[in-house]
Amino acid sequence: MVGNDLVDLNEALRTSNWQRDRFLNKIFTLTEQQYIKDGNDPFRMVWRLWSMKEAAYKLYTQIYPCRFYHPLGFECEATNHSGAVKFNNFQCYIETTETPNYILSEARLNRQNLGSTIIKFGSTGQKQRSSELKQRLLSCVGDSYQLTKNKMGVPMLTNGEKLLSVSLTHHGSYGAFVIDHWFRNGNVSIGNEAV
Amino acid sequence: MKKEELIAKLKPIIEPYVQDAEAFKNLSEDTDFVNDLKINSANLVDIILDIEDEFDIRLENEDMEQMLDVKSAMSIVTTKISK
Repeated sequence: MVGNDLVDLNEALRTSNWQRDRFLNKIFTLTEQQYIKDGNDPFRMVWRLWSMKEAAYKLYTQIYPCRFYHPLGFECEATNHSGAVKFNNFQCYIETTETPNYILSEARLNRQNLGSTIIKFGSTGQKQRSSELKQRLLSCVGDSYQLTKNKMGVPMLTNGEKLLSVSLTHHGSYGAFVIDHWFRNGNVSIGNEAV
Repeated sequence: MKKEELIAKLKPIIEPYVQDAEAFKNLSEDTDFVNDLKINSANLVDIILDIEDEFDIRLENEDMEQMLDVKSAMSIVTTKISK
């Protein structure tokens, strides 16, 4: 299973103010706030840590189907482009990639290279972009697959026989999807982790 | 505070973060911040902070955990302001 989360930095700049009163205390631990203070780009560190927490939450809810809002509980450890997130007894590994425009994090139970396909939207509007992302995902896996969601909103790909774990994220002008156990040559391998 | 009164106070707090204007028009107790209004999860914390300011209350972690829909927001605010 895999969870991913993308932050469009221009969008974050426009729609969030991480410096507002009590913002950091609500979502970041003291250790994380120290990362933010110590870094040479506090704004980027805020959104890198946020994407790590969100990617970890998405992975967590694939394994334990549920919904809640507790970003503070997902505690990040960040080093270079790798990291780890802990939530109670749950732990996962994170890989992060950054450009001047966005930050993307991917959470897995085992350390693996990034597998997300990142797209810049051609369309505008939340709904249009959401469907553009789904179209791109489906054109990657082929017509035989459909995208479904369970009651908790966790997405999955199915062709009636196989289920593939998938994670989608979109924010501002960018979106990304990642399919677990999917290889570009079209071979699908389903291991013990598959649902 | 009456339910209608509370919803009327919450609406302007929620509105700036809404990404589905059509769903916002039909806002009810059952409206989900993320699934219906398409509010970005990073903005949920802004809604929480705005609610704290508007009602002069402070939400704890366990209150925040539930803050995914209008109904939960209403119940948290009602509990807090009655204390």
